[in-house]
Amino acid sequence: MLHTTVDKEPEPTVHLQGEMDLDCAETLRWAVGDAAVDAQEVILDFAGVRFIDSSGTGIFVRLCLDMQQRGIRLRVHDLTPAVAQVFDMLRVRELVGEEVFVD
Amino acid sequence: MSETQRPATLRVFRYEAAGSTLRPIIGDAVMPLSRNELVKLARDAIAQRTFVIHAVPGSGQADELCFIPYDDRCEILSIHSNGWRRHYGDHRRSLMQILNDLAAAVACSRLRLLDDDELRVELDRATPTLAFAISDSATLAEARTRLGDALELVGIEGARRDETVLCASEAATNALVHGGGGGTVSLVPLDDRVRVVVSDRGPGLNFLNWLETPATKRAQASMGYGYKIILDHIDRVCLHTGTSGTTLILDQLT
Repeated sequence: MLHTTVDKEPEPTVHLQGEMDLDCAETLRWAVGDAAVDAQEVILDFAGVRFIDSSGTGIFVRLCLDMQQRGIRLRVHDLTPAVAQVFDMLRVRELVGEEVFVD
Repeated sequence: MSETQRPATLRVFRYEAAGSTLRPIIGDAVMPLSRNELVKLARDAIAQRTFVIHAVPGSGQADELCFIPYDDRCEILSIHSNGWRRHYGDHRRSLMQILNDLAAAVACSRLRLLDDDELRVELDRATPTLAFAISDSATLAEARTRLGDALELVGIEGARRDETVLCASEAATNALVHGGGGGTVSLVPLDDRVRVVVSDRGPGLNFLNWLETPATKRAQASMGYGYKIILDHIDRVCLHTGTSGTTLILDQLT
């Protein structure tokens, strides 16, 4: 299960904790929507994500593209090795843009 | 959704030279070419020991065929497209990417397509030491944890354990979303490998479910990558699918 906490300061940030699979869509969208109020950029902190699969990745990609269409940038911080490996496998950087990733 | 409403349909046939038999293994029995034409192309592929691709264009529809020789038999993979086209910005995989991956996996013996008898033989090889029923994401998460622990005990550790758990999770997710809403994941230690079996009693897999609108609010239209992840990280994969369900056998050699 995915858990989220939102910090508004100093930058709107969603801290992700747990597992991202087929059931994470609502949790992720709600948290990012909350953080994005009056913001043009939201940071997604992946440091606490210990598992992600292709469903969780697809949900992240869809959300990223939707937010880009609304003029809100998502920036990804602190990918864990488990997440980075799956993102590399699925070529997520090509899908959402290299600039989303803050290494 | 009827076959003609689907964006595309996957069918697999098997030609066996010994008895000159041609039969469906996955999907319905509608042949993309006449029996004689399919047999001729299959024989050519076997004689030349060469992977053969054949296209049958049509008006708004098309059949792409791959003939994959294997000893004295030939697997024939067919995608019948009902005119579906990717649109700009679509991050899902194309039909040809999926077909190419499947064909390549069969050609290099990483993926074996099983008929009913072959499935029975594989399932009778040993009794599972662990089995989990999967009915939602909570039971799936619990199965991932317990499967990871069990894999370590039989010598599958570190990154290889994580990859195996990821692949089992991909297969189980397919069972949840496309396989009737649930299934089972079981672990079977064998002499030279560790086997994870994922089964459901759904309507059968056509590899192209991801092109359809999700049936439930929870289900997301997937990217079509689950099978690619499985085929890229599991040493040997066996697949049986039909109207009474789907079984995936994931073998990691030890």
